[in-house]
Amino acid sequence: MSDDVQAPPAPTTHARHLAADDVGIVQPRDYTHPGTFTFKSGQTIQGFTLRYETYGSLNATRDNAILVCHALSGDHHCAGWHSDNDTKPGWWNNLIGPGKAVDTSRFFVICANVLGGCQGSTGPSSIDPATGQPYGIRFPFVTIRDMVHAQKLLLDHLGIDELHAVMGGSMGGMTAMLFAIDYPQFTKRQIIMASTANESAQAIAFNEVGRQAIMQDPAWGDGDYAREGGPRVGLAIARMMAHITYLSDAGMDRKFGRRKRESAGGESYTFDAQFEVESYLKHQGQSFINRFDANSYLYITRAIDQFDPARAHGSLEQAFAPVQAESLVIGFTSDWLFPPEQNRAIALALLRADKRASYAELSTDLGHDSFLLESADLYALVRGFLERTDVYHFDFTI
Amino acid sequence: MQVIGEWVEPQSRVLDLGCGRGELMAYLVQAKQVSATGVDLDFGRISACVSRGLSAYQGDMTEFMRAFPDRHFDRIICSRTVHELNDPAGVILEALRVGITVTVGFVNHGFWKNRVDALLRGRKVRNAVYTTEWHESRPANPLSIADFEDFCRVKSIRVARRVHLLGDWRRPCRMMPNLLAGYALYDLARP
Repeated sequence: MSDDVQAPPAPTTHARHLAADDVGIVQPRDYTHPGTFTFKSGQTIQGFTLRYETYGSLNATRDNAILVCHALSGDHHCAGWHSDNDTKPGWWNNLIGPGKAVDTSRFFVICANVLGGCQGSTGPSSIDPATGQPYGIRFPFVTIRDMVHAQKLLLDHLGIDELHAVMGGSMGGMTAMLFAIDYPQFTKRQIIMASTANESAQAIAFNEVGRQAIMQDPAWGDGDYAREGGPRVGLAIARMMAHITYLSDAGMDRKFGRRKRESAGGESYTFDAQFEVESYLKHQGQSFINRFDANSYLYITRAIDQFDPARAHGSLEQAFAPVQAESLVIGFTSDWLFPPEQNRAIALALLRADKRASYAELSTDLGHDSFLLESADLYALVRGFLERTDVYHFDFTI
Repeated sequence: MQVIGEWVEPQSRVLDLGCGRGELMAYLVQAKQVSATGVDLDFGRISACVSRGLSAYQGDMTEFMRAFPDRHFDRIICSRTVHELNDPAGVILEALRVGITVTVGFVNHGFWKNRVDALLRGRKVRNAVYTTEWHESRPANPLSIADFEDFCRVKSIRVARRVHLLGDWRRPCRMMPNLLAGYALYDLARP
């Protein structure tokens, strides 16, 4: 997920968070699970912390909760602002808020940083109580299932009896999918966007190049590095390359074309960044290394690569057999990382398994990041799915 | 719509090809408690179905059907869509593989008013059914009852039921349907 594909221009006023349809200033919170957590691999940790945010309030019947699941590089901050002077809102602020498509005046919205992450939740950069040092790559291997099970413990802690919906894009869609599979009674609806039930070889290949960039950086040191140090070059390169896969050819052409930086002269015979796209990617890489942990990047990309419920259950239909949720799958035409066909495959398998499922496709040129799109069509679709009423209108003309 | 409603078995599994905004599916879900899925090409129509709580799939209907095993659906409905298909025979034959029964409903282009219109005006038919001028119309491949009967015979498709309605699309047409019927409904099955 990009850092700024939808980022608004720098605020001229500090009152954006006061907008009527904005959740306003939000505070992240931490949930610490006291018990032993056993990973799918069989490895265990003594307790864990998930950092999360909530918007809106849980109703008396405890059935209006919507869990939002973030993508690889996302976090728990999906709506609102952290301070008056914040320059950027949460990553899905365009979708979530009072009166927005995910209406926080109706729904209690929860978003947590995943287990294995690095934005406040327990992950490889956390201190291992056994050694007093960061876990590094001694942290247990994390799967999407582990992320889901940890988040379920958070939801139990919050007193949520059922999820009105679980939703997410990219890896967040995988998380949503597994919620519906592993907690079928609990999960009433799921929205899966720009996602896949199993990555293609191409997507795995891109993740592997990113991992190699990190692990081949001498500063990686087999995963043991100081908090402010580490494989910054490798992580930045991994991010730059991955970022290309989140965009599209047409989108990049529209945004950058062959435009050159103002500082670059007409003819330049150096390898300094000349084209705007070069300096943009450099900026993406640099801003990423200041907020993301390289080991977390290894763990989470691995979790995404390994996600394959069809393999785990024999077939995708068998994987979906317990699902009770109504499903909405959304694909985006220019997404070549998790292309429309892979999203269609999810919806078709749900339908073959006799589940209620819909598939809709939006034409955009924003590539994989399209799920962050500002689109009235997307908002209407999501709102219609979350808020639909069973009042039918009949037109008896044939 | 009422005729299709009568033909549909309660609690059956129905696929609506060219489901539009889901009017027929919503009716069948409520009146017959069917499990319904629709297919359409248009995002806005799929979105309308979703907001009605219906299952709808945006995409090509033949590709959709190819993703399902034989006889997966109890009934496949193709109502007022067949004249807009690129490969009508291909769609109907695929539907006969995936569905046990296939219901096809279409406007009878052989209806006398259409013939008179074409004959006297020498222009594209325009009336309450064909409302647009040629230059604002989608490509269409209109058919008559005689055309469809011939198609079923050539392809050895068994016609399990047929209903021809007069120009008001309500009262039954009992004679010379290719001339007097405005609308036709067929229930097809494999031979």
